Parts: sequence; structure tokens; C-alpha cells
Amino acid sequence: MTFRQAAWDEPSIWDLAPARKASAPPTIPGIPDRLRRKEAARWPELSELEVVRHYTRLSQMNFGIDTAPYALGSCTMKYNPKVSEMLARRPGAAGLHPYQPEATVQGALELAWRLERLLAKVTGLSEVSLQAAAGAHGEWAALLMVRAYFRDRAELERRTEVLLPDTAHGTNPASAMMAGFTTREIASKDGCVDLAALRSAVGEHTACFMLTNPNTAGLFESDILEIAETVHGAGGMLYYDGANLNAILGITHPGRMGFDVAHLNLHKTFATPHGGGGPGAGVLAAGEALAPYLPVPRIAKDGRTFRFDYDRPKSIGKIKTAYGNFGLDLRAYAFALTHGEEGLQHVARRAVLNSNYLALRMGESLPRPFRRLVKHEFLLSGAPLKARGVRTLDLAKRLLDEGVHAPTVYFPSLVEEALMIELPETESKRELDQYIAAFARAVADSPEHLRAAPRSLAVGRIDEVQAAREPRLSWKDLRAAAAKVETPGPVGPAP
Amino acid sequence: MSRWIPDEPGEEAALLDALGISSTDQLFTDVPKKARIGRLGVGPGHDEPEVVRQIDRLLERNKPLAKFASFLGGRISARYSPAAVDAIVSRSEFYTAYTPYQPEASQGMLRALFEFQSLWVELTGLDVANASLYDGATAAGEALLFCRRLHDGRRFLVPASLPWEEKSVLRNYATGPGLAVEEIPFDDRTGRLDLDFVRRAVGTGDVFGLLADVPNGFGHVDESVADLKGLLGEIPFVVSADPLALTVLEPPGAYGADVVVGEGQGFGTPPSFGGPLLGLFACRREHVRSAPGRIVGATRDVDGRPAYALTLQTREQHIRRSRATSNICTNQSLMALAFVVYASVVGPRGLAELQASIAEKARTLASALGGIDGIQAPRFEAPYLGEFTIELQRGTAAEFLDRLRRKKVLGGISLADPRPGATDRAARILVAASDATTEKEIQKYARAARSAVAAVGRSA
Repeated sequence: MTFRQAAWDEPSIWDLAPARKASAPPTIPGIPDRLRRKEAARWPELSELEVVRHYTRLSQMNFGIDTAPYALGSCTMKYNPKVSEMLARRPGAAGLHPYQPEATVQGALELAWRLERLLAKVTGLSEVSLQAAAGAHGEWAALLMVRAYFRDRAELERRTEVLLPDTAHGTNPASAMMAGFTTREIASKDGCVDLAALRSAVGEHTACFMLTNPNTAGLFESDILEIAETVHGAGGMLYYDGANLNAILGITHPGRMGFDVAHLNLHKTFATPHGGGGPGAGVLAAGEALAPYLPVPRIAKDGRTFRFDYDRPKSIGKIKTAYGNFGLDLRAYAFALTHGEEGLQHVARRAVLNSNYLALRMGESLPRPFRRLVKHEFLLSGAPLKARGVRTLDLAKRLLDEGVHAPTVYFPSLVEEALMIELPETESKRELDQYIAAFARAVADSPEHLRAAPRSLAVGRIDEVQAAREPRLSWKDLRAAAAKVETPGPVGPAP
Repeated sequence: MSRWIPDEPGEEAALLDALGISSTDQLFTDVPKKARIGRLGVGPGHDEPEVVRQIDRLLERNKPLAKFASFLGGRISARYSPAAVDAIVSRSEFYTAYTPYQPEASQGMLRALFEFQSLWVELTGLDVANASLYDGATAAGEALLFCRRLHDGRRFLVPASLPWEEKSVLRNYATGPGLAVEEIPFDDRTGRLDLDFVRRAVGTGDVFGLLADVPNGFGHVDESVADLKGLLGEIPFVVSADPLALTVLEPPGAYGADVVVGEGQGFGTPPSFGGPLLGLFACRREHVRSAPGRIVGATRDVDGRPAYALTLQTREQHIRRSRATSNICTNQSLMALAFVVYASVVGPRGLAELQASIAEKARTLASALGGIDGIQAPRFEAPYLGEFTIELQRGTAAEFLDRLRRKKVLGGISLADPRPGATDRAARILVAASDATTEKEIQKYARAARSAVAAVGRSA
């Protein structure tokens, strides 16, 4: 496939119009002089067409699912249905203020309530809250719930440790730290949790074990029931990171596997768009022990009427403004309603089928560290490339020249020069075969080409080291650098 | 079966054949039998027209703001957004993209985010902005943790007038590291911060940061914010500011703010029942390595062309894990794009004029409500922009607002904490004018308010 991305020589927005002398903004009666802005904010005055053209050109220098397969492992980059976009923009959804009287938002409350009930079934956990903005936000909130639970049982003083496998997403240890726990990593064995290592790590200090299943090596943790028994036997809680739920929809669920609490990423499994980095929507689901600690408000149903319930004495309170990313919840609901029982099962089955097919075929180009059944994603190692003076990073950049997005690279760390690959259920066999062919071409290409890639995009290989060494983080920094009157100061030592 | 899963005849069979298996069941033999489930029990799927019908049926049970004379505000705005903003945000090269982990393939989003960061820097008078956080409240929470990285201490001060939701969110951010969120009392007449309280608290040596909001939780612009840094000295000072207000107010950096956070939804993102929103965060250059969230930096490509990439990533969870500055990964990039497109379409002059015109409507509204017996409007003697607080002398805010609703007026937001056991029971309501407010609606509000107060008087 020959591919060329648009390469507009597009100036930054502030360079589209000449700088003008800043005038004072209008005066608001009563505002004290010392708080009045003396000079209008410096930003260009442009015609609407100039603005539209600028951002349209920028958009043409960006990959999206709609332009290319996105093989990012653990990101579950599936098609974002257009019908959901249409529905989320209806005035009855987009035009609702969160603090309208409950009587005027009965449909929104019902939709959220229905989605909660549906997700309770999908997770096998009794109660669901849609308040979390993203997966990591849900992790943190769930750990605060675990904290409150142990405080109520007077065990918090000793239950200070969160355990996680060495394959855990980086958000897991970071969330544990923010929630006031220390963390300990459990080394993996053959890509999965080493049960013996877990058994010797758990104890009366264990608050929680955070686990993704299937894990980030794409492997199902087949010892899951023994893992749950081990953690519960030590009095700890078991946390389900739902980033990889796509692979097990309708096959198993966190409740059946013994998890006490979970977060889901609706922007992965339930196909809500990821917006170039966000928004997400991070559902919280809890079993009976932790459900009383979910954030308020909860949605209650009295007869045919829905209302917010703030009467939850054990609740951790609020974790964000309003009730969650309703616009995304609606899209997720449309996804679930479309698929239904059979469809959701089919989602998992096809996603896993795609993944195993890719693993088989792409495993002909590079070694596969764990040659077993995989679930939604799988790992390859780019280590053999090193003999040719090439690294996984070069391969990733070279793939971009094929007009496809690269896999996740250098994660998880248990595989040298790792590539983590996931193309979910919405990719056809034709797309998979094209990806496989592109990958084979890239691997076989000359070291010179690989190191020089990408060559088909708006820019060539970017110097990320320079970006960190001499940070230029806004227009202000660029102006300073251009004027050379004030060099940007130091950014301080790393914390 | 859904069109979203490809099912060309023979396609699935070909995939199974390649794997040497006959059924997808064989792909799940690693899931132990005891862990398997039967059915989910979620009901059958539906085709697209039926899904649209079902969701529309639910949405029709909502009454969107446009059906009312709405005076709802707070941190969430229903301001009109030019159609051009949604046209850009709807470009699927933007909205179907993932985080720009491969910067060469994602220059469009990276450049838009760099422009967004630059705009927030301009509005705040600080040096560095990140590429967004979840919302204003969580941005304040991240600011609390950020302050603790810069300064020792156990106590974080916030105005008692801060919305209860934000206090609750802040307390959750403070819980993990064992920190305390303490409330600065306000003057009963003006709503202004009690600076003596701040002075005494700072004197204990145990304060690691202070947050003040502009306008404050009552909608007022409290001049005392300009005196806070003088009292705080080295202690980090956080301002939570409304971006539209900053088009007419002094940038907080100019009066000593070390961090400026805010809620950016009103710039180009519809209210959508409260989400997605947009958390804004800016800080001083010397503190950027302690900042949370992704940051886009300008650099060069191999040929020397300007290029952009996520930078200073050693602060972040995917590199530093439990020693990261924050757990945040997914942010609100698309809303950040909407923010900068909205500001660019409306333009700096247009934004300041918009704020001035909303402020004028708010003054008209205040004088219309101020004349009503039984309502103190505004409750506090302090300047304001688009919002102010009223207080009912009789009855509850809930009853008053419900009576207004029946007359097609959404009269504002009750400031009371709705959780049982909350102590402050004053019937205070935050009332907001907006770009859509008309003279007729103001009169409608005044009439409805007058009869609501009278009715409460009769029933009392």
C-alpha cells in the first residue's frame, strides 16, 4: 500500500494573523481595579473560515480509527459507531444541565440506570456507578473504597499494601500510591501470576491485589480462582482492571472470577471514541462488601420515577463534578443495545479470533514469547532486530509508513523490545491480512529504511529527547526562544 | 448480527481454518469451567433504527434547557457554541484517534493541544499548562497533591463557600496521603475570605497550600484573592478560575498564583448532563516536573522541521509507576480541542464582550429579584460577573425551585449539600445569567419568584 499523509506547511494559529497591540477589554462595573484585566489576552482575531481551515488541515495530519487500523495493545481501538455520535448530540442529551430538577431529566436518569443494570450483569457485580471519568480515575476511587472498608473494620492501620503483577498497567501502582497505599510487584511466571509468589506475598498487610485478566501479555490467568482464594484467604480485596474486558464478554466475568470491585473502560470495550487521548468513561462496579462505599449520588428507582440518592452513609462522597461522562455513557448504551446478549458474546469471540490469527501469522516475522492461546492481544519481541542494528521503535515508525498505526511498544517490560498487538472485532480478515503483510514488509526492510522511518507523514522522526531536554511548552516559550531576549529558565530537578 | 462485526460469508471459517480449529469455543479452553458463565441476561440486540427509537424514547422524557428560562450555571455552562466548533470536533481524524503515542502520525492533535496549552497560559499569566485533566474539581484535587510535592505541611485551605461537591472531591484527593482540607470562613455580609484566619493558619507552619476560586462559589469576585500570596509567602497558591472570567479579569499569575485550575467545558463543549467536562491546569515553569498529566512540547524532526510530541513523560504513570506525579492517563483531549477552537472562532474581543454582556444581564436580573420581599438578591455585597447568590428568608431552596420549574423557570442551583447530615441549611441559590438570557425571561423569573415566595409565606 502506498500511503502519503497530508503535509501542510501550516503555521501555528498565532502566526496566522499579525500580532496587534493589545487593547483593554471592556470594563465590568463593580470589579475592583486591581482585578481588572488591563490588556486583552493575546490571541489572534481570525475569520471563522481561517479557523476552520486551520484545524481541518491539522486534522489531515492525524491518524484515527476511521483512517487506519490502530493496533495499540490494551487500547482496544474498535470502530466508534456513527449512530452513537448522532444520538449523543440530540438536545435531549447534549442540552441537559446536570443540576436541572430530577423531574426534567427522567430519561437521562433512566438511561444511566439501565446502563448500570446492564453493566452489573456484564461484570457480575451487584452495583455500578458511572461517575468515574476514566479507567485510572476508577482505579483510584475503588482503592479509596477499599480504604474506607478497612477503616470501618479497623484494619486500615495494618492493611497498607497493594499487590500487583509486574505486567500491570502503570496506572495501577500510581492509583495505589494516590490512594495512600504502598505497592509490591509480584513477578510473573510464563507471563502469568506466579501463584507461589503471590501466596508468599499476601498477609495481614494486604489491602488489595490488582489484576487485569486477561493480562497485558494477552494471556488469561487460568489460576484466577486460586488467586481469588489466596487473596481472600489473607483478608484482602481483589480488584479487576477492566481494560481488557473485551476478550471475555459473556464468557466469564469479574464476579464469577472472584473479584470484589472493578473498573471498566467504556472507551475500549463499549466503543466510545477516545478523542485523541480522552474523554474516557470509567465505570465502577462493586460486589456486596464494597457497594455501600460507591460515590454519591447513586441512581434510585421508585416505582416509575428515578432520582438521585445521596443517603449512602458509607459512601466515599464525590470523585468528580456531576455524575460521570453522560455523553459517553449514552454511546456505550447504544453499543450494548445494538449487540445484546448474542452480539456481546460475538464481540469477545471475534476479537479473540482476530488476535489468535494475527499472533499466528505475525509470529512468522518475529518471535512470540508465550506460544499459547491468547485473548484480545498478544506480544512479539523485536529483540532479533538488534542484530541488524534495528530496534522495535524503528519497526513501529516504519509501520506508520504503511498507513497503519503501530502496536504499543516497550510494554510490558517482561518481554525484551516488546510489541503489544491488538486489532479488535471490528477489523475484517482483509484488514488483518493487510496488516500482516505490512508488518512482514516492515520487518524485512533494510536497516537504513527502518532507521529513517517514517517518511510518509507530515513530519519525519521526531527528536523526543530534545523535547524533554529543552522543554518548549507553549507559545510563550516559542516567543521567548525566537526573541532570544529571555531564555526559558530551568524546569527544576526531577522530583 | 451487528454490522460492526465483519461477517462476509466464509470469513470466520477461514480464520478458524488457519488456526486449525473448528469453533471459537476452542479459543477459551484456558478459562476454567468453574469460572465460566451461562448467559449475561442482557436481552437481544436491535438494528440501528430500533436502537435510535429506543434511545430517542428515553431522551424525549428529558426536558432540555431550551424548554425553560434557565438560570442554571455553576461550573457548567450551556453557552451557545458556534456550529464550526462541533464541525471540527466531529472530524473523525480527531475524535477516533488514540493518545498520540506515535507523534509523527498524530501531529494534528499534538499541535491543537499545544495551541490549547498556549491559550491557557495566556489566560492565566502562568508559564506551563498541561494537555487537560478530567474536570475542574479533579484539577483542583490534582493541584492539592501538586502543592504537597512543593511544600511540607498537612493542611490545605479552601474557601468555605466552595461548592460542596468540590470540597468532597478535594477531601478524597487528600485522604490517601493523610492530608486535611480546611475551610476558610467568609464574611457574612460580603462573602469575602477571612484573611485573619488565613494569617493564623499560615502561622502554624502546617499549611502546604491554599485554593481560592474566581469567581467564588457564590459567584462573586472577591478582591481578597489579590492579597493571599502576600500572606502565603512560599506556600503554593492555587486559583480556580472560570476561563471566560479571565478574559476580563487580571491573570491570576499577576497576583501570585502558582497554579491556576478551572473548568473549561463552557468553551465549546455542551453540558451533556455533566460530562464530558474539561479540567484546566497551569503552573510555573520551575515546577513543571511536579505537574500532573500529559504535556505537549515543541521540538524538531530529523530534517529540522517544527514538530510536536508528548514530553517530560518521566513524570507519568506509564514510566514512573508508583512514583508518578499522578495516575492520570486518559484525559479530555477532545474537549481541549473544542476549547481552543471555540476561543479562536469567537476571538479574544468576542469573548471579553460576551462576558461583559452576560454581566450586564446578571445586573438586570439582580435588580429584578432584589425588589422581591422575602428574597435577598444578591445575598452578598460584592461584585460579580454572570452569577450571584440569592437567599430565601422563608422556606427551602428545593420548594422554591420546584415552584419555579412548574412555571418553566429553572431558577438556579441550590448550594446546600444534599447529603443527610449536612449542617448548612441556608436556603441559598446560585443564579446565573447567560448569553441566552432575555429581558422577557428576567421578568418571567421575577414574576415566578414573587408568587413562589408568596406561596411559601402562605403555607408557612
